[in-house]
Amino acid sequence: MQIQPFSVNDGDGIRTTIFLAGCPLHCKWCANPEGFDAKPKTAFYEKLCVGCGLCTEVCPQKIGIDLHNLQARAKCINCGNCADICPKHAKKRMVEYKTVEEVIQEIKKHSLFLRQSGGGVTFSGGEATMQHEFLNVLSEKLYDMGFHLALETCGYFDFDTIKPILERMDFIFMDLKHIDTTQHKYYTGVGNETILKNMIRLQEINADIVIRIPVIEGVNADIAQIAESAKFVQQHLPKAKMELLPYHRFGFGKYEALDLPTPSNEFTTPSEEKMALLKNIIIEQGIALADFR
Amino acid sequence: MAGSTERVERIRLNYVNSKPAISYERARIWTESHKRTEGQPVAIRRAQAFYDTCKELCVNIFPDELIVGCSGEFRKCGILTPEFSWTWVDREMDTFATRAQDPYEMTDAQRAFVRKEIFPYWKNKSLEEAFLAQLSEETKRVAVDTGFVDTDSKWRQAVGEITADYQDVLFKKGFGGIKKEAETYLSELDATSLEGAEKIEFYRSIILVCDGIITLAHRYAQKAREMAETESDTKRKAELLEIAESCDVVPEQPPKTFKQALQFMWFTQLGGILSENPLAWNPGRFDQYMYPYYQADCEAGILTKAEALEWVECLWLKLSEWVWTISANTADFFAGYNQFQNLTVGGRTRDGKDATNELSYICLQATENTMAHQPGLSVRIHPDCPDEFMAAVTHLVSKGTGFPAIHSDQAGYQMLINAGYEPEDARDWSNCGCVVPHFRKTGEWTSAANLNFAAALEFATNQGKSRLSGKHIALDEKDPKQFTSYEEVEKAFYKQFAYLIKQAVISLIAAQRLHVEMVPRPFMSACIEDCMKNGKDLTKGGAKYNIGPVITGIGIAVVANSLAVIKKLVFEDHVTTMSELIDAIDANWEGYDVLRAKAQAVPKYGNDDDYVDDIAREIGNFFYEEVHQYKDIYGHNFLSAFMGISNYLPTGKVLGATPDGRKATEPISEGVSPYVGTDTSTPLAAMRSAAKLNQDLHSGGTLLNLRLNQDLVATKRGQANLGAMIQSYFALGAFHVQFNTVSTETLRKAQAHPEDYKDLLVRVAGYSTQFVNLSKSMQDSIIARNAHETF
Repeated sequence: MQIQPFSVNDGDGIRTTIFLAGCPLHCKWCANPEGFDAKPKTAFYEKLCVGCGLCTEVCPQKIGIDLHNLQARAKCINCGNCADICPKHAKKRMVEYKTVEEVIQEIKKHSLFLRQSGGGVTFSGGEATMQHEFLNVLSEKLYDMGFHLALETCGYFDFDTIKPILERMDFIFMDLKHIDTTQHKYYTGVGNETILKNMIRLQEINADIVIRIPVIEGVNADIAQIAESAKFVQQHLPKAKMELLPYHRFGFGKYEALDLPTPSNEFTTPSEEKMALLKNIIIEQGIALADFR
Repeated sequence: MAGSTERVERIRLNYVNSKPAISYERARIWTESHKRTEGQPVAIRRAQAFYDTCKELCVNIFPDELIVGCSGEFRKCGILTPEFSWTWVDREMDTFATRAQDPYEMTDAQRAFVRKEIFPYWKNKSLEEAFLAQLSEETKRVAVDTGFVDTDSKWRQAVGEITADYQDVLFKKGFGGIKKEAETYLSELDATSLEGAEKIEFYRSIILVCDGIITLAHRYAQKAREMAETESDTKRKAELLEIAESCDVVPEQPPKTFKQALQFMWFTQLGGILSENPLAWNPGRFDQYMYPYYQADCEAGILTKAEALEWVECLWLKLSEWVWTISANTADFFAGYNQFQNLTVGGRTRDGKDATNELSYICLQATENTMAHQPGLSVRIHPDCPDEFMAAVTHLVSKGTGFPAIHSDQAGYQMLINAGYEPEDARDWSNCGCVVPHFRKTGEWTSAANLNFAAALEFATNQGKSRLSGKHIALDEKDPKQFTSYEEVEKAFYKQFAYLIKQAVISLIAAQRLHVEMVPRPFMSACIEDCMKNGKDLTKGGAKYNIGPVITGIGIAVVANSLAVIKKLVFEDHVTTMSELIDAIDANWEGYDVLRAKAQAVPKYGNDDDYVDDIAREIGNFFYEEVHQYKDIYGHNFLSAFMGISNYLPTGKVLGATPDGRKATEPISEGVSPYVGTDTSTPLAAMRSAAKLNQDLHSGGTLLNLRLNQDLVATKRGQANLGAMIQSYFALGAFHVQFNTVSTETLRKAQAHPEDYKDLLVRVAGYSTQFVNLSKSMQDSIIARNAHETF
């Protein structure tokens, strides 16, 4: 997992976002590649490195400074020693193990800021529900402490297992990446049947719901697709809002730092005009737009 | 167009584009007057010189002006006050026009005149010369032009640091009324006792300065009428006649309208400027004392909101046009022609209600429109502050001007209570200069000494010697290589630290005594209620409150970080020895890259890590205790503060490398801010660290500067979150925070030198992250996007 203690776009107010690693989907454009699986990872931001070599002193695998090569990556056991000692934060732990208590301590540090701003805690990923046992315990404790809770999910989970968690949420963001299951499977690795079923069952949950579409030129940025998605939401979750998020490549730096192949260039950011057009389709469908900018 | 009207915009463009010029007129008249008053009591001589200046100084009304009055023949004008110090002017004026920071125009003829006619008179008579003649060699070694302890703003300049009392004195009585009061007191006194003789002298000086400022206003009335006669533009003609009418009334009588109140205010500022060229001559709680006039005029239908805004903008530019004449060295400290006229809006009333009103908002708007560097706009934020006011404040923050300085109403109140104020007066606080909580019925040296904390550490780790010069400065103590425990290091630091504080106190006591003797302040005293009641000048402790001088600490983050390094690396983890560490900093870390990296990896103040924050808190507490035990010449305790200005640059210049990894001559840290680039967590963590320092102990004020990307606060939602951040910080007990929202230029620098900008947060899309962690192309796109938002 990773903790981002100052997050302002994942729900109301100032929030602490808990990224739980591991994801049942594998979207070809993913912005958080560190969350593909739950294994600890070590990022290397070469331009911050001053070449002091401290990291080499603590490396049990005797790897040099440069992590940007296949042999180094093959040898690295992601123990994180190098990240802990690096004075320039050029090496960084990307996924870490933490206990519920440790996470709660981190959140409590910022409790005043979260409460004063009307913010709270957001669970994100990867896919937060992949670690549902952990999330169940953590969310129950935070619920009892009175924190405003939000969940960002891809919607791919067993509803009955996750339901107790969902019931503690004040806010649920669920993604709808493509309304067509074939396309969905092509781009994310799984069909959308489970997701759509779960989306319908969100009616059972008393939380504010936002259905999010990451709008990607070359994947789903077309009028028909958006209209059909909106129709689905309108039909099954009439009180839900929708949020259209334009695709961005801001996660590319992380791919580079982790030595992962970056997503294809065929995915591009939709123009502002296009975004306005698509948002209008949502509004025409009678659905309110959500925006956390 | 930035100003709200074309008039304001014309004045603003002139202000932005023209270089200030030095006028020697005030100094000439002042000197001639002093030649005529030899043998008289000094208070009378100074009051007479003020009167003569008001009577003889040129009067100029510049194009478009609605508020009139100037300190010399130039619109952007600086004056000379040789009675405080003339030697530096003599040394530096040949390069006034060409120096890099804050240049002034001055002609050869002007220079020749002052060298021939003005300076010779003041030789051996200035405050500076007297001070230097009296100070011991030991104190000089530590506290004169060293960068270790710096008090020269109290003996090379006037003190300033006064807030005029419009509420209970000026707007109630006018200078005519004050004069009458002085005459009444005089009629009941005789010189049959020391007290009686001194009071007679005081009231006579008050009558002279009141006559002076009234005379000056009447000369402006006459000038406006003369100009109106020949003015062909009928609109301007009417304006000139209105100016004349206004100057007939104020500041002799209380103002009758909002516009007259503004003119009154400016004459008061001008009087203060002519009397001593002051730093931090504060307009105080402007929105409070001006509001009754605003409200009455709006109700009477003689003023609109738009008109009020235009006039306030004119005042802002007037406050920005005069120039505080300072040396090149001082200009490095106070870059940007700053005069530190602090104007405070918002907060609570004397009886504890919310005090914000329409004028509070107009003030914020005027600063946004004029982008003027004066007044120093401060806001007081209380827990129940209206959302609309907080929104207006954060909106202004988002404009990237660095304004307003945001203060906790409650912390300010608590600081004043701790300094001995009555609750009602404490609730009525306003700022002095930059971030000093202050009150208008007060005599106080709010920025008396700058104390370089890191110098104490240098002396503790170098047997009292300067690492750069090798000169012996402070206490000669044990060889640091022989230290055997962290406690010993700490003790050595505190010993040198206490020594520096003591030298600062010695130097300030000397300066205070000389001020009483040499530079009484009749004009300022007339503006402060209890001086009149007590029949005593400010310099003699005439004000209701006489608060001890403030010693400002610089570099607490550097010292805390350095001590943490010694504690962890030498005595806990044993990865190095005192000997190696001292060798490394002696060598300016050259050849010790690995050790330096290890030092940099030790927890740094500003990341909410108790390991180092606890050290910082302990230093802060010690500082307070040590400073507070000393009493000034009025018997009041000295106060501690963590203010900023740009003192962290020159104080860094005189130091060798420090154990935290800082290299020689690099800046140290300002106020309670983290060391630049080391608060790598979040702004929330930086705020939590800073709030641990028991800020309300430091009644001289505390300062936190944080840098935020403009994008974080570009939307109303972002601004609302910023408002919540501020309230949370204040709930933790903190006093002040100010935000820099970052320009494209800075982002480009951040790209070139990522190591110095690690704390720079940028809002990306759905999330926020550190700028330096983004790929080059992403950085480019953010820079490109940001450019669209600036002008």
